[in-house]
Amino acid sequence: MKILYSYIKKLVPALKADAKEVGEILTMTGFMLDGFEKVEYQGKKDYLMSFEIRNNRPDCLSIIGLAREVAAYYGLSIKTPVIKKLEFGKNKISINVNEEKLIKRIVAVEMENIKNSESPKWLKSLLNFYQINSVNCLVDLSNYAMLMTGQPSHIFDKEKIKGSLSWSLNKKHEKIITLDKSEIKINNSTLIVEDDNEILALAGIVGGDKARIELKTKSIILEMATYDNAIISKNSRKLNIITEAGNRLSKELDPNNLDFSIRFLISIIQENCKGDISSRLFDYYPKKEKAKVILFDPSLPTAFAGVKITVQKSEKILKNLGCKVSKKGKKLLVVLPQNRTDLSIEEDIIEEVIRIFGYYNIKSDNAPALEVVKNITPISFYLQEKVRDILQANGFDEVLSSPLVSKAINKETKYKNMGLVIMQNSVNEEFPELRQSIATGLVLQIRNYLKLGVENIKIFEIGKVFGEENKKYLENNSLGILINSDKKEIYKIKEAIENLLRSLGIENIKYFPAKQKPEIANQFSIFDIIINKENVGIIYKLNSQENKNIYFAEINLDELTTILEKNHGQATIEITQKLVTLDANVELEKEESIYDFLESVQEKINKKNIMAIRIFDVFPLGSKIRYTIRVSYEGLSDQEAKKFHMAIFGLTDVKQ
Amino acid sequence: MNREIIKKLEEEIAVVNSVDDLAKIKNKYFGKGGLFKLPENFKQLSAEEKKSQGTIFYNIKSKAEQILSQKEIDLKKVLSQDTVKKQAEELGFDIPKIGHLHPITQTIRMLNNLFIGMGYSIMEGPEIETDEYCFKRLNVPKDHPARDMQDTIYIKEPNYLLRTQTSSIDARILEKYKPPFKVVCPGRVYRNEKANKSNHFIFHHYQGLVVLPKTNLKDLFGTFDYIFKAMYGKDVVVRYRNKYYPEVEPGVGPDMQCFNCKGKGCSLCKGVGWIEMGGAGIRHPNVLKMAGIDPKKYMAFAFGLGLDRFVMAKYKITDIRTLLGGNIGYKPYQNENTL
Repeated sequence: MKILYSYIKKLVPALKADAKEVGEILTMTGFMLDGFEKVEYQGKKDYLMSFEIRNNRPDCLSIIGLAREVAAYYGLSIKTPVIKKLEFGKNKISINVNEEKLIKRIVAVEMENIKNSESPKWLKSLLNFYQINSVNCLVDLSNYAMLMTGQPSHIFDKEKIKGSLSWSLNKKHEKIITLDKSEIKINNSTLIVEDDNEILALAGIVGGDKARIELKTKSIILEMATYDNAIISKNSRKLNIITEAGNRLSKELDPNNLDFSIRFLISIIQENCKGDISSRLFDYYPKKEKAKVILFDPSLPTAFAGVKITVQKSEKILKNLGCKVSKKGKKLLVVLPQNRTDLSIEEDIIEEVIRIFGYYNIKSDNAPALEVVKNITPISFYLQEKVRDILQANGFDEVLSSPLVSKAINKETKYKNMGLVIMQNSVNEEFPELRQSIATGLVLQIRNYLKLGVENIKIFEIGKVFGEENKKYLENNSLGILINSDKKEIYKIKEAIENLLRSLGIENIKYFPAKQKPEIANQFSIFDIIINKENVGIIYKLNSQENKNIYFAEINLDELTTILEKNHGQATIEITQKLVTLDANVELEKEESIYDFLESVQEKINKKNIMAIRIFDVFPLGSKIRYTIRVSYEGLSDQEAKKFHMAIFGLTDVKQ
Repeated sequence: MNREIIKKLEEEIAVVNSVDDLAKIKNKYFGKGGLFKLPENFKQLSAEEKKSQGTIFYNIKSKAEQILSQKEIDLKKVLSQDTVKKQAEELGFDIPKIGHLHPITQTIRMLNNLFIGMGYSIMEGPEIETDEYCFKRLNVPKDHPARDMQDTIYIKEPNYLLRTQTSSIDARILEKYKPPFKVVCPGRVYRNEKANKSNHFIFHHYQGLVVLPKTNLKDLFGTFDYIFKAMYGKDVVVRYRNKYYPEVEPGVGPDMQCFNCKGKGCSLCKGVGWIEMGGAGIRHPNVLKMAGIDPKKYMAFAFGLGLDRFVMAKYKITDIRTLLGGNIGYKPYQNENTL
């Protein structure tokens, strides 16, 4: 909301603060200054200030509202424009209110003998500051009244109206031509203003061309209304029409403000365009809103602020804000000003007191000594941090990418048997889906790196992946790592994964040909990663037109967390004797799993005596494969180890 | 005589400097016809004399053996020049590629460390949220225009959406854990905005929530002061404005004086001299009530900081899309000082 300093000064004559200070105090009390310009208005130097008005304060989408805030802060009085006594006529305006639930109040009058003209210079230049085009004096005055009071109004050319004015939910009209001549299609639930035949306005949002005010207009119907703000906000969002009126009426305006606002508008019309009020004042106000009363504990501002705010100070602030305050025992009975629709509970009053008291008066140069509480950080956090550290130490760069991805990349990398999660209304149409695999970002990243000639690519990403299963949306933390190489060396990515998993304390890691394969993978170089019979991830080589060797692995970090929560292995031992390392050759059929074999072997061994066991060599022998298993025994003599080794592997002799 | 032989042996081996030469000496003394032998008349001696002479002989012989074996150990410690040369290696010129953490991660870690130091826990929450947790439980009623403040990306209107704020995790923590607690939650949030150089549909937020029997704005400001000073030094200028958010009361807008222009106004702060750091305040009693917490027994303060602009300024990134895009680069052999 913009405001000229001279207008504040006119409304708060005792104000001593200059424009800069006013900008600062309004900023600190809830209205951030977001524009400050030296200007000239009516031949004098002036300042045009612009303030951010948050959604709870539509009363300050007005010059008077902002001036009231300034007056309250300094404890000064505000001098609102004086309105001379108005002479109302005898006619009764025919208005039907068909949607009682949606309309809080409507006031309206008929005026005749209007002499409309071009606007005076002061009005034109004022509206210019607000980027409102001057149309003619009547229309401009209606806008001026809105800027002053915050209350939108609408003026119809009475001669263009057939029969009664009605506020209804649209039933028969398909479209409206608005004042700016654009054609808007409307549906059946839009709140409109119509006459016996035609639609005249989208209530609270924009007027129609039909009853537009022209220079020749002589008689008018002038209305102001407040609505259930949700309907206005819904309609203007749905129809995608943003207007000054709609912006104000989609927030909770005070219906009582209409008493002053309509009189103000009538009086300035009479001042500038002559005219007689030919009707009585039409006033539809079925549920008159009464001033809210709150019992307020004056010790609370101190408790909330953490610094002393006296009862007297609180009382003074509330009175300056227009509250009526009386004592009731130890508490204060506060009658709230009705323009403040944002206030309704005790905490609102506390905020008002502290806001005007000034946050800058709450000094705190130390970190607060807050109560010591239990650490509830989940293990998944520590896991992610450790994964980052291990990968970084191993030369990997971290990348982050958008979980919202294109259809194409999701299709290439998807391998899980889950539904896709697709956005309904994203303005970024090129990224309509949530990624199913963490590969999406890494694959796009490496394509870009290769294009730009980046060498030595080792990258990883930790982030969420998403899917839909049984009408439920699922998400889990996922780790992806990706490397490229000049040679065929898939072992490098396996090594990276093994290093990571074993560093985290995980053993019993197996690889099986993958069951589900993404399009992007080489169908012959793709493996599921299995830990304790759980599938925790996938390793594969990417297909490449250019014969590049690019390898990717993905690990479900939530699965890993579950495994680690159960895993309490201990890696520390005391080596008291020399280690005895012995090999054993095992021949298995190609189809037989070496992992199963090792598992059966390990069941026979007393773990206490094993330092390490691993597959040392693999040698194909026709239909069979010969594996060399190397075991390091600990805490056994040469003889004992040999005996043990031969027994487990069913050997007759052992070479050391 | 035999005592002299030890002296002679010592003299001879003192100048030996190879295992081979030592072997020759060994042979000279202990080999067939070597210098070490029993006296020629030994056989003729009486049993008593044999015993005493023999003991002397064996003592001296074992002394000599000891000297020789010690020399051998000493010699083996010293390798020949040839062997040493054979084993020698050059350092070479290979520089290993080093790893880097993403600037967003580094920033989150820096903040995490500060908050862990103050006894906070670190939490995370879902990115796919429901209307209930993202809006309703944060005191933003249905159809309320406050929802216009944040354009939402919906998966299924009106219930399923991508969270627009990390405050949504508050509602989840409040529901799951019994107070008192102090938590922070770094995370991504989504807005329905077109991505360009300075706007993205994904932002990074850093959320905090403290629920204690008693707390106040002074605690909140003190926490911010500590964080900002720890990050920018003690001369940092911070101000706290009143600012409305539906989920807090009183609401706070913390601003930091622009570190680029020191408040004069520049392109980074859009000419106003201040940088908005996010939002904060005392949790609205309705929010606590909806989570089953009695606002008479507990008070809470909460804050949310935006990270993206800060990270861009610190790492001199001019296009916000770089943070989540395909063109972030790291110098392969150089890391920033991470101490």
